[in-house]
Amino acid sequence: MKQRTEESQSSARGTSIVARGLNKSYESFEAVKSVDFEVYRGECFGFLGPNGAGKTTTMKMIYGAAVPTGGELTVAGLDIRREERAVKRRIGVVPQENNLDEDLKVKENLLVYGRYYDLPKKETMRRAEELLEFVELTDKADAEVEHLSGGMKRRLLIARALINDPEIVVLDEPTTGLDPQARHLVWERLRELTSEGKTLILTTHYMEEAAQLCDRLVVMEGGVIIAQGSPDELIEEYVSPEVLELRAKPDALEKLRALVEDLSDAVERAGEALLVYTPDAGALQERIRNSGVPVDNTLYRRAGLEDVFMRLTGRRLID
Amino acid sequence: MGAVRLPSPRGTLRVWQRNATIFRKYWKTALLPNLFEPLLYLAALGLGLGAFIQAGGVGGQSYVQYIAPGLLASNAMFAASFESTFNTYVKMKIQRVYDAIVTTPVNVEDVVAAEYLWAGTRAALYGTGFLSVLAVLGIVFDEPLVRSFWAVLIPPTLLLIGVMFSVTGTLFTSLIDRIDLYAYYFTLVVTPLFLFSGIFFPITDFPAPVPQIAWFTPLYHAVNACRELATGPSPGVLVDVAWMLVFTAALFMLPIHFMRKRLIS
Repeated sequence: MKQRTEESQSSARGTSIVARGLNKSYESFEAVKSVDFEVYRGECFGFLGPNGAGKTTTMKMIYGAAVPTGGELTVAGLDIRREERAVKRRIGVVPQENNLDEDLKVKENLLVYGRYYDLPKKETMRRAEELLEFVELTDKADAEVEHLSGGMKRRLLIARALINDPEIVVLDEPTTGLDPQARHLVWERLRELTSEGKTLILTTHYMEEAAQLCDRLVVMEGGVIIAQGSPDELIEEYVSPEVLELRAKPDALEKLRALVEDLSDAVERAGEALLVYTPDAGALQERIRNSGVPVDNTLYRRAGLEDVFMRLTGRRLID
Repeated sequence: MGAVRLPSPRGTLRVWQRNATIFRKYWKTALLPNLFEPLLYLAALGLGLGAFIQAGGVGGQSYVQYIAPGLLASNAMFAASFESTFNTYVKMKIQRVYDAIVTTPVNVEDVVAAEYLWAGTRAALYGTGFLSVLAVLGIVFDEPLVRSFWAVLIPPTLLLIGVMFSVTGTLFTSLIDRIDLYAYYFTLVVTPLFLFSGIFFPITDFPAPVPQIAWFTPLYHAVNACRELATGPSPGVLVDVAWMLVFTAALFMLPIHFMRKRLIS
């Protein structure tokens, strides 16, 4: 897990993206409701939240595919509404859905994309080769895009987003649908990018991904930011450091709840299990043993971002 | 937001280059049917139907000579129409090529203008191929199908015709959300224009208001311009070219506006 970022240190680095009262309304609903956030230069900043929380809309406003209906948004020091082209020149985008150019081969995708940024031909060629190396697709340079696996397509999308050597890279669910090997390869590459000093902004559904990559993150729900901080700060603030997961018959679960309530910070029912957030799991376990209430299974673990997320956004199924 | 956004030449060129890069891979196979189809019309109508048309043909020309330049114009219309309908729709909705492009410094207005220009380029390329075939056939059969040196101006005219029909095709594309709706565009717009724009018979000989209606349609002027350039133009050709320029300019920004609404939320 990343070290907690000191405020003073971060602001000294300067900001990459600043949103103030940022708003996006469509005819029938408000997708993003007046959000404020700051992304510091060189950090990895995450957007967490259930589907429909407004993450993708926020990303789209950053890369110009959606126009804000209110508030301010500056990207790389430029007003997104007034200097759209200049902003787009400085960022790289990995969209949620694959939109590689299937009429072009793997390397051609990078070369043609380089032209959109007016890069000199030689420079584009050199960068394309470097980037294919970087995402481990060199031997697929002349392959048709449609013959690539899902993980390879995602890596090519990442290479494409880097062709203009952007200072900010926006990634909308960069590893959704990838197998664990492919996911770890993508994480490794993304870490290399932050170590090169690039600013990364990503949305994800995977708490592990956020914990692995993000220096700071915000949790969105229903178009608003409901929490923000570093992963450790969020865990500290919203859940206790230890969790006891108790599995038992439904009537036993209710008895257990009554039993542990006063010794825990929070108790949550999740299906057949009871999640007990507590500063002192030992004392709790002792009490449960002594009570004689039958427990099928007890799991004791450290609290993680997933607990924060579930705590904040609830356990109901969204869309 | 509502401001008029004119395309940038730079962005337009970049997207045009993308299309050219892809076209270079398959131009031979793409070109062939486009040369072959007008030849079928020439053979079936020019020679077949032409045999029944009285000696003297139309206005002193044989029937083949009469229809050949008109087919150049309709060929450009078809090339640009397919490009700006099915091809553009697939790139927009299925391949999502435009979504990717507009995250770069290339904007929606550049993409649309590039597609206009590309459709015009294709129309001009195909038309030039067809024009060369006509010239050769004329020599081989000793019945000149291209009789004036002004014909060298036909390719740039086909470029204009292609851009013009790309603007109308893209306008339709920017408004529909199902690919099968193109049947309406082709049945209600393209085919009637093909049949009633003076390619196969002089529309001006019809009673009023048919010629007057024809005057307000784009292919009529395209056919006139090609025919005049193939046979030696009268000053009237300038009216046809001017008509097409005004029509194209008047509609130019409309598809850009609608496409922007579709691609940028």
